[in-house]
Amino acid sequence: MLVIGEKINASNRLVAEAIIARNEGYIAGLAKAQADAGADFIDVNVGTAKQTRQEQMAAMEWAVEAVQTATDKPLAIDSDIPEVIETGMRKYGKEELVINSVNAEPEKLEAIGHLAGGRQVRLVALAMSAEGIPPTAEERLATCETIMTYLTRLGVSEEQVYFDPLVLPVSVDSGQALTTLKTLERIKVRYPQAKTVMGLSNVSYGLPNRKLINRAFLLMAAYVGLDAAILDPLDAKAMSLIKAADILVAKDPQCRRYIRAYRNGTLMA
Amino acid sequence: MTEDIIALIKENVIQGRVTADDEGMDEGWVGKPGVTELVEQALAENVSVADIINKGLTDGMSVVGEKFESKEYFIPDMLASAEAVGSAMEILEPHLSKSGIEAKGKIIVATVKGDLHDIGKNIVSILLRGSGYIVKDLGNDVEPQAIVDAVKKENPQFVGLSALLTSTMVNMGETIQALKDNGLRDKVKVIIGGAPVSEEFAQSIGADGYGADGFQAVAIVESLASGSGGNS
Repeated sequence: MLVIGEKINASNRLVAEAIIARNEGYIAGLAKAQADAGADFIDVNVGTAKQTRQEQMAAMEWAVEAVQTATDKPLAIDSDIPEVIETGMRKYGKEELVINSVNAEPEKLEAIGHLAGGRQVRLVALAMSAEGIPPTAEERLATCETIMTYLTRLGVSEEQVYFDPLVLPVSVDSGQALTTLKTLERIKVRYPQAKTVMGLSNVSYGLPNRKLINRAFLLMAAYVGLDAAILDPLDAKAMSLIKAADILVAKDPQCRRYIRAYRNGTLMA
Repeated sequence: MTEDIIALIKENVIQGRVTADDEGMDEGWVGKPGVTELVEQALAENVSVADIINKGLTDGMSVVGEKFESKEYFIPDMLASAEAVGSAMEILEPHLSKSGIEAKGKIIVATVKGDLHDIGKNIVSILLRGSGYIVKDLGNDVEPQAIVDAVKKENPQFVGLSALLTSTMVNMGETIQALKDNGLRDKVKVIIGGAPVSEEFAQSIGADGYGADGFQAVAIVESLASGSGGNS
């Protein structure tokens, strides 16, 4: 399972302050810590409430550079605004990256689809539309079909797409995790070449000992075929569980990566 | 006897139990009557509706609020309690006018244009209903004009706006402007909430209040309601 490190996100107050203050050391430090902990991609989200679109574009340019001073790990350029993503991609220059994200809204599909089409980039696609997050797995799958049809026309291949089945808090409705897992399963059947990705932590919002719930959910998602997780790579237990789960779902032939992690002393039992 | 059943209603609100089948916060409640059964029983015994609401439901809910504030209660606890109060109010509704009791006020809630996130708004709605307000929920991705139309039609005292995205929170300001343009701004108090929103932002767009979480939203509505000098 690929790991996208989530820590550089302006929804965190300290990160937002560091971005506004252009504190390169802080952002580079977060990038390095996540890379060292085994993240495959470093997510970069600079969107804060007080910034205009232009300011967010400038902040993204700055942050992309700040992260690259610390690590060679590829980036996940994360924004609601296609222009901010485009700015980040241009600054970054390399093709090995994740665009995070698009959904079924036509304007977004058009803008982001053109950024992804004909390139090697990976693209996160949220199973939601302008009408909201569909309540059932069937409707979320239908939303994924809308997205895939549109993207295919713009030259995006199935293998590039990482569908996010969307995770809502079980504290508000205890059926939500199952809906997400069912959606995952259906996406895998409908688009065997496409990948899946999830931000796990939303599932535990509003409950105590959130990490416990996140980890349980991670394992269930691994079983139904989750390909990538957006999480905090500094959670050594979660990272170790991913390595163990990869063995159990036959994604780590001969258990080589698991054993290597053990030898390196990074596994936490 | 009357005291007993009111105390039981209050305790079951705190436990968050709608019916006898429900688990409570604590163990050992399953099988004992929940809030709906107790309220039916209280009505059959001619217990005062005002007492059921004020000393049973509202007092119970304020204990829940304190427990949530002190982090003893979590979101599912709070929602269970609010649901218990909401279902009790449904039973009591036909008896309200007979007892000379009016709802505390009416509030229109919406997630603003371009924003699909409704969990926070739904929690606030449940809590406001649980506190005795009539809530008209317009859903998510709601255009300013639709909110203007709803204010004209429903004549509420409050409008509650929610947004989760930095890209959509500006539409709260647009909505307030639309209320101004239609001469409605002075008729309603506007409160806002959502992850990227702050007190500072609320002031900058001319909102009347900001709630950081569901209970704060209710508290702001309560203080604005009393501050505005009555329940007209």
